Amino acid sequence: MTPQALGALVIALALIVGSLPATAQGPIKIGASLSLTGTYAKLGKNQHEGYQLCQKELNARGGLLGRKIEFVVYDDQSMPATAVRLYEKLITEDKVDGVMGPYSSPVTEAVANVTEKYKKVMVSPLAATTSIFKKTPRRQYIFMVISPAEVYLEGLVDMAAKRGLKTVAVVNEDTLFSKAAAAGAMELAKKKGLQVVYQEAYPKGNTDFSALLTKVKAANPDVIAAATYFDDAVALTRQMRELGVNPKMYGVTVGGDLPEFYDTLKQNAEYIYGATQWEPTLPYPGNPEFFDTYKKEFGHEPSYHSAAGYAGCLIYAEGVKRAGSLDADKVRQQLLKLETKTAFGDYKVDADGFQLAHKMVTFQWQGEKKVTVWPDDLAKDKPKFPTPPWNAR
Amino acid sequence: MLGQVVVSGILSGGLYAMVALGLALIFGVMRVINIAHGPLLMLGAYATFFLYDRFGVNPFLTVPFAMAALFLVGMLLQRSLIFRVVDAPELSSLLLTFGISIALVNLAQLAFTSDLRAVEYITGAWLVGGLAFSKPRVIAFAFAAGVTALAFVFLQRTRLGKAIRATSQSREVAMVCGVDVARIHMITFGLASALAAAGGSLLAVIVAIQPEMGQVWTFKSFLVIVLGGAGNYPGALLGGMLLGLVEQLASLFLTTQLSEVVAYVLLVLVLLVRPTGLLGGRQT
Repeated sequence: MTPQALGALVIALALIVGSLPATAQGPIKIGASLSLTGTYAKLGKNQHEGYQLCQKELNARGGLLGRKIEFVVYDDQSMPATAVRLYEKLITEDKVDGVMGPYSSPVTEAVANVTEKYKKVMVSPLAATTSIFKKTPRRQYIFMVISPAEVYLEGLVDMAAKRGLKTVAVVNEDTLFSKAAAAGAMELAKKKGLQVVYQEAYPKGNTDFSALLTKVKAANPDVIAAATYFDDAVALTRQMRELGVNPKMYGVTVGGDLPEFYDTLKQNAEYIYGATQWEPTLPYPGNPEFFDTYKKEFGHEPSYHSAAGYAGCLIYAEGVKRAGSLDADKVRQQLLKLETKTAFGDYKVDADGFQLAHKMVTFQWQGEKKVTVWPDDLAKDKPKFPTPPWNAR
Repeated sequence: MLGQVVVSGILSGGLYAMVALGLALIFGVMRVINIAHGPLLMLGAYATFFLYDRFGVNPFLTVPFAMAALFLVGMLLQRSLIFRVVDAPELSSLLLTFGISIALVNLAQLAFTSDLRAVEYITGAWLVGGLAFSKPRVIAFAFAAGVTALAFVFLQRTRLGKAIRATSQSREVAMVCGVDVARIHMITFGLASALAAAGGSLLAVIVAIQPEMGQVWTFKSFLVIVLGGAGNYPGALLGGMLLGLVEQLASLFLTTQLSEVVAYVLLVLVLLVRPTGLLGGRQT
């Protein structure tokens, strides 16, 4: 045997041996588009890391149905139209075995039409808008993980009502999620006997709130409930200070829970209430472990987007495991029946795939930290109330 | 309430005017509509962020550095790409600068990531007679007014400025009179980029910085120069102030959502009544 032939034989053997443990089928490919750039990049990236950690842990435990799992992720630039194209591509060209949801409600709303068309189960960990799930005709294959947008400001409104406050101003970005959060806050406020003295929506990408805040100031509300994302929450807060808008309570929705929120606003973030789907300190099974591994893996702390992404992926995997197959209808049956508790909290959906069990918590920035102040059974401390005027801090 | 909103309108109008002046210069001299104007502004904002974040430079003192850096970038862009479309139909220049715009935004996403950055330098407001003057916005306005004034002095008084205006009026005559038109084009593009960079630098202390922050400024600048009269430099000032005020007043009397609509309705009206803009078209 010539040395060349021997070499070839060794390589051939190595290839055969190397391919054996990977099984004949190859990995289970799970597709998703995420907002890795654009307006929602910060949040979409955290969700992506949640997916990555889930992939890593599942594979370390031997994968799913005896196969490794592998995420195929594209960047939708925070744009629903791009995401629609990407899910078409994932399903028809890449022929992925399953899909997971993208970031944000507007993107999920657009994408759901594609996944329904191709009958793909989509666990959507970061879509919080009720109307995505409550549709006629019913969307069959989409599953909700987080609490709906409508309850984001529930804690703020409830605490305000308990403290005898009377008036509230509601402002929101004019997008699907923020509109729902604002509508929920207004309904709740009316139910609790608060008067909505001012309400206005502003377009996505708006950075100058002076006219809006001038009007809010004239209405002089006790509470400002702002259904925001990150940029607008920061701009609103800065301009509230500049214009001397002094409510007794001021709360935002998304973005306010990111460490960057405090880094950007520094002490101006103090006293601000935020809503979060999850905190690392909440007593959920596997939560401390998730927090530690995540921090070690990615070099920064997880946000609730990370935890929801992670949990959503585990929930999908659990559905597949119980179904014993990747067949969409079998997985769907299991996910509808499933009741479980992950590091992210409770999961249980109704017949529409709408989340029923997961709980929302409200925190307040106190001394550079987020302190859970609502609901009472999960609260770590009392809220610092009322919020002092800007010039008295 | 009205007073407060007028103050805010004037403060943002000053920035609009300065940034739009850059676009007006390029259009006046080269007849090129520069879609990449906003992304150049974004680069200016990043220059300020990094100088402030890494070297602790006072963000307002970074303005000349950002301008100098983008002046060079602008000249380079003109020398390598834009000069090819100066005499081409206007669609070519639109396509080219659109391409440059996409490239700049995506390069910025690669190089700087799309993380939101902020320069938290100065916050709060001065209270004068019950009106709040936002500190960062007032200082930004002052800088913008200064830079714009310098640009005007440069255009009116210096030989180079006169050569730019001459080229804008009639390229052939300028060439006959011994003006090096190719060089003027390059300098004009550099200058326009520097004005955009100054806008980005000043915005850095006001809004969050991210690679896509610029595009909206391309459209606002475009609106401003059409309102004022394309290629007419004082028109850019008028248009900028007008846009700032209209946006704020529309937010006050209507809703924040309608303010953009009102700005564009105004544009349509101006185009119907005075198609050359409020101060008339290209002339200096």
